[in-house]
Amino acid sequence: MLQGSSCKYVSLILLFFCSQLISARDNPPSSVKDLQYGEVLFYYYQQDYFNSIVRLEIAQQQEHLSNHKDEAELMLGGLVLSYGMRDKARLIFQQLLDDQHIDLSIHNRAWLYLAKISYQRGDLSGALDATEKINGKMTPATYTATANLKSLLLMEEGRNSEAIEVLKKTRSNKHWTPYLKYNLGIAQIRNGNSNEGERNLESAGKSGGFTSEQRLLRDKANLALGYSYLQKGVVDKSRQALEKVRFEGPLSNKALLGTGWADADAGQFAQALVPWTELSTRNIADPAVQEALLAVPYAMVKMELYGQAVQHYKEGISALNDEKRQLDISINAIQNGELLRSLEQSDPRTGHGWRQQLTIDTDSPILHYQVRLMASHDFQEGIKNYRDLLFLRRNLDEWATSIAAYEDALAIRESRSQSHLPGVDHVQIANTLETLRQRHAALTNTVTSVESTGNSIGLANAVETQQLQTLSGIEKQLANLPDTPEIRNLRDKQKFLNGIIYWQVDNEYRQRLGKTRLLLSELETLIQQTGMVIGNQEPEDIKTPAGFPGFQKQLSIQKTALKQLQTRTADASMAQGALLEQLAVNELEGQKKRIDTYIVQARYALAQTYDSLLNNPTDAVVR
Amino acid sequence: MCVYKSFFLLVCSLLLSGSLALYSTNSNANSDDSTNTAASLDKEIQSLKQQVLALNRSLFMLEEELLFPSNTQIAVFVSIDIGYFFSLDSVQLKIDNKVISNYLYTQREVKALHRGGVQRLYMGNIKSGEHELVAIFTGKGPNGRDYRRGTELVVNKNLGAMFIELKIVDNENSKQPDFSIKEWE
Repeated sequence: MLQGSSCKYVSLILLFFCSQLISARDNPPSSVKDLQYGEVLFYYYQQDYFNSIVRLEIAQQQEHLSNHKDEAELMLGGLVLSYGMRDKARLIFQQLLDDQHIDLSIHNRAWLYLAKISYQRGDLSGALDATEKINGKMTPATYTATANLKSLLLMEEGRNSEAIEVLKKTRSNKHWTPYLKYNLGIAQIRNGNSNEGERNLESAGKSGGFTSEQRLLRDKANLALGYSYLQKGVVDKSRQALEKVRFEGPLSNKALLGTGWADADAGQFAQALVPWTELSTRNIADPAVQEALLAVPYAMVKMELYGQAVQHYKEGISALNDEKRQLDISINAIQNGELLRSLEQSDPRTGHGWRQQLTIDTDSPILHYQVRLMASHDFQEGIKNYRDLLFLRRNLDEWATSIAAYEDALAIRESRSQSHLPGVDHVQIANTLETLRQRHAALTNTVTSVESTGNSIGLANAVETQQLQTLSGIEKQLANLPDTPEIRNLRDKQKFLNGIIYWQVDNEYRQRLGKTRLLLSELETLIQQTGMVIGNQEPEDIKTPAGFPGFQKQLSIQKTALKQLQTRTADASMAQGALLEQLAVNELEGQKKRIDTYIVQARYALAQTYDSLLNNPTDAVVR
Repeated sequence: MCVYKSFFLLVCSLLLSGSLALYSTNSNANSDDSTNTAASLDKEIQSLKQQVLALNRSLFMLEEELLFPSNTQIAVFVSIDIGYFFSLDSVQLKIDNKVISNYLYTQREVKALHRGGVQRLYMGNIKSGEHELVAIFTGKGPNGRDYRRGTELVVNKNLGAMFIELKIVDNENSKQPDFSIKEWE
């Protein structure tokens, strides 16, 4: 299982690497047209998917992303996918694709994401169907990523010739080329075209190693090339390829083991001892080192150095038994919660999701097998889920503290408000109402006076009153002027206009009086109703309708939801922890079984070597 | 070949033979229970993530409404356009001659800014009316020299949230960084 998962993981690394490139080169716009969109990018570029998603959803809800609407939705899909929420991501992309007028670029990227989701779920045919939907003009990044994903899917389905066809048609930039060549080489070798495959692997193995990923790819290509030649019995070329794998790199052990076997297959056992002896001094947790412990005496037997072979077999068996004991210690430590404690002590950072670096930074016995455990895809996924749950728990705990603080703050503000504001508010409200009542009474008196005296001018409207005041002012000015014909003419005009207004008001006296009475009656009712409403309400409600009670209600709702989530997250953490421990123990138990097999084989070989030694007593002394 | 050449043979076959899918399937057949448990747990974790995200969204919005009502709210953002001529270390922000933020950047944050991210530097409350904003940027300028530059803007706060952007832009003509403050409508 370990190696199968490990190899599958290699494909996934490639896939994820591809998706990172798409994300980096394809998704973000060249310029930020909404500040809040830029804020989302700020978190996204730090691979803080959790806060990116929160900020993006807030900006969407507050309608702050008017210039990036579709782009933001596509980005949200990509973010939730990166954060391990495949179901939600699928829903977002499908909703985007339901839009008939969707931009072709967004259409293609949505299908590419859907293909990846299907691939992650193990639905290879679904993923392939999704890649078929990607069409038309597309960016180079989308085109290359699609071709790469499609080829990986076809290879996993064993359809190597189709994968070759796809890869051969794909034109890519210099950054992508080594990855595509590597995949093409593997597909060709699997398809039986070993010569072509070896040429492509050789090309990928010579690519520039500017980054750690590129150097790792170069090592992988040379390792695969070396093993391909070895299977064909082309020993020299095999050794040449394997010797190009970095001596201190993560694939060095496998390369040393292969180099030794290349020499051994050529009958050059003394030469095989060089890489194998080096390998046998390395960390015994690696299966390649365990095999080297037995390969060294095997070569010695072939060289008829039986005494030394016996000694190395004994040392090898002893080392393997020690390793079994070490495995038992680690298994016990894991079962006693050491692994989970180590993870809890490490910083899960903020919502980094599936791509976060996974390390166990303690001196615990588990550290010894960290590399082996991390090579398992299932274990990696388990760790990521566990760390995500740790982050969620911390996030919920922090909010619980904040909510408590806000509740306290609201309570203090409310209490202060109750002790200071009611008096002020009641006085203000009472004064306002009293003023209104007084004005109403004054108006009623005026109307009554008009009615009793018959002075209709009291019913003049605001415009008429203003006009009368203006005419009165003119009259005063004219009175101070000399009595000339022109002035007399103006005085006549003033009187005429004054008369028109009086006549107009008087003519409509009855209608005006009735209407005014009706309005005064309605006004009185409204003042009474307002007084009753105010009397029934709390002062805070009158002051801020969405004030304290609104916030307190919202906080109370969120607090209840938070408590439920805390319980569920704690339960899920416990279950995920148990699953993770089980995966780790299964993995280490598997290693124990393999060591047991090596020990049995070594004991059998040791017995055979003793026989050979008895028949060849001239060899070195047996201790 | 030697009987214990097992690991070596396995590496060879897995790298080159294409037996990957078959091998994985056989291995997984023995652990159906744990696979089912893992699948149902994965579903639950996805659901939990979604709900915790929704809770965070609601609480952040409530917090904003509670602490920074829109009629007094001011939010200040920082952005960098290109940034060849200036490597940002820190920003100090003053409103009406009072220091309200001193922010020291990590390398990760500076990289995010260079790639087009916009950082929310400060969120707070100010009264309606005129206010003077001063931003002081420190870092490394052209040729790696220590660089400290300030810029200022008088803003008029009305009703409604106010969004301010502190911009660092490369000036190709002078080969120097330009610093400015922009109010977003």
